[in-house]
Amino acid sequence: MTLRDVDVAVIGSGPAGMAAAIKAKETGAENVVIMERAEQLGGLLHQCIHNGFGLLYFKEDLTGPEYAHRFVEKVMDSGVRPLLQTMVVGISPHRDVTAVSSQEGYITFRAKSIVLAMGCRERTRGALNIPGGRPAGIFTAGTAQRLVNVEGFVPGKKVVILGSGDVGMIMARRLTLEGAKVEAVVEILPYVGGLIRNEVQCLHDFNIPLLLEHTVSRIHGEKRVEAVTVARVDKDKNPIAGTGRQIECDTLLLSVGLIPENELSLMAGVELAPITGGPVVDEGRQTSVPGIFAGGNVVHVHDLVDNVSWESELAGQSAAEFIIGGKRAAGRRVNLKPGRNIRYIVPHTVSGEKEVSLYMRVNEPEEDVRLKVGSIMTKTVRAVKPGEMLKLELSQAQLSKLKEGTAEIVVDCEERGDR
Amino acid sequence: MAEVNIICIGCPLGCTATLTIGDGGEVAAITGCECKAGEKYVVEEYKNPVRVLTATVVTQGSPQPLLPVRTAVPIPKAKLLPGMKVLAKTRVKPPVKIGDVVIPNLLDTGIDVASTSDLAI
Ligand code: SF4
Repeated sequence: MTLRDVDVAVIGSGPAGMAAAIKAKETGAENVVIMERAEQLGGLLHQCIHNGFGLLYFKEDLTGPEYAHRFVEKVMDSGVRPLLQTMVVGISPHRDVTAVSSQEGYITFRAKSIVLAMGCRERTRGALNIPGGRPAGIFTAGTAQRLVNVEGFVPGKKVVILGSGDVGMIMARRLTLEGAKVEAVVEILPYVGGLIRNEVQCLHDFNIPLLLEHTVSRIHGEKRVEAVTVARVDKDKNPIAGTGRQIECDTLLLSVGLIPENELSLMAGVELAPITGGPVVDEGRQTSVPGIFAGGNVVHVHDLVDNVSWESELAGQSAAEFIIGGKRAAGRRVNLKPGRNIRYIVPHTVSGEKEVSLYMRVNEPEEDVRLKVGSIMTKTVRAVKPGEMLKLELSQAQLSKLKEGTAEIVVDCEERGDR
Repeated sequence: MAEVNIICIGCPLGCTATLTIGDGGEVAAITGCECKAGEKYVVEEYKNPVRVLTATVVTQGSPQPLLPVRTAVPIPKAKLLPGMKVLAKTRVKPPVKIGDVVIPNLLDTGIDVASTSDLAI
């Protein structure tokens, strides 16, 4: 078995992996490698051919492949070594990364630090328990996206989409443009799961019906999907008897959530947070295992790629600093605790020593709220929605208000009484 | 006088604006927007709704069956579906570089359709 020493091993070459690797190199790490199981760098960006990428990071409206291209060029110029067709199969807590490579076979890298950038995967029908047979014609939205945009197959002519996440809505538009009829987008919650711009530009633009507080209660068809029953749900999200109606279709797409991909993280002994499904991280994106860092959708599912890139740059920088100066001495750790109407906060801890951005999501949509970080900062916000991630920037001056010995800060989303 | 509803996409609030349209087609009044930036957006969206068309074209002589493309800038919303018909008839051969024009002047909009990726032989 081949053994090789590297400084920083980055696992995955989507937007997270590329940003982390470039930043690690810029920060001064010498031997930085990206391991990617596919034949090219870029991950899922290649199948996301729509625009809306990079509005914040590049101040330009790019498509997925264009966003990938910008970073691939930077990787090539930076001296980072991409290892393609290299699938990582194991990571030890001592940072041995084992991979299977088309070039070199079974190979182990001894890494001084690691950045986890494996991204996320889609929830499938198995997680939903919809009654019915097992006909052909049921796809996750992301699989359909790959079929339509990369392979060149349109999976059906009459389509129902369950779930109003961004990928589902984007596929509703894409399939309509390709000549399919999208009969309905069905959402179990009383509000849309994805971004408002996607609701308008993907559904309203093409008069695609959106059924809120509805679900697919049955799939009909033996060999191929022939119809689905769509029913209204009660407040516990159970179908209400007597409200069902059949919609004829040959295809059902599922856009019912994304799950961070953390099998490798678990092998390395990294602690995962129950709500996000991703590693517990500090402000430098170090996980519970020293020298192992994480960024992007492997940590928590983002809605904008720009934030994936920024977060992963932090991880890449920390991974390089870990090697170079041992700068990451265990400093102060203050836990961030989700309070009223806050679902989660990333990072999970802050040092209080330097400025930090908090990324978070709410549980329920609300209007006219005040976000409150302990007693050190407040910010008023017009509207919050679970589908739109919030970002709060805490300055050094604000953090210096933290009292000595503070162990925890509660972040709340409060109603504003003054409107 | 007529009324048109337009949803602002400027922030997660998603205000539904009601535009009162005068007999000459001019916007006479706007209600429902919570901010000025939103009002500007909905008037623009009423007068000239535009979108970037992103899609694929079929390739010939490449291991990659499709090439992703986009309109360089947004085109009128009403041209999206007609634009798809033009794309459906188009075939491209490698090599293509990202940014290369695949269809010049789509439907006389003066706007080109360009490749968003390289295409190898
Ligand atoms: S009008 Fe202003 S507040 Fe309302 S959705 Fe648009 S940007 Fe947001």
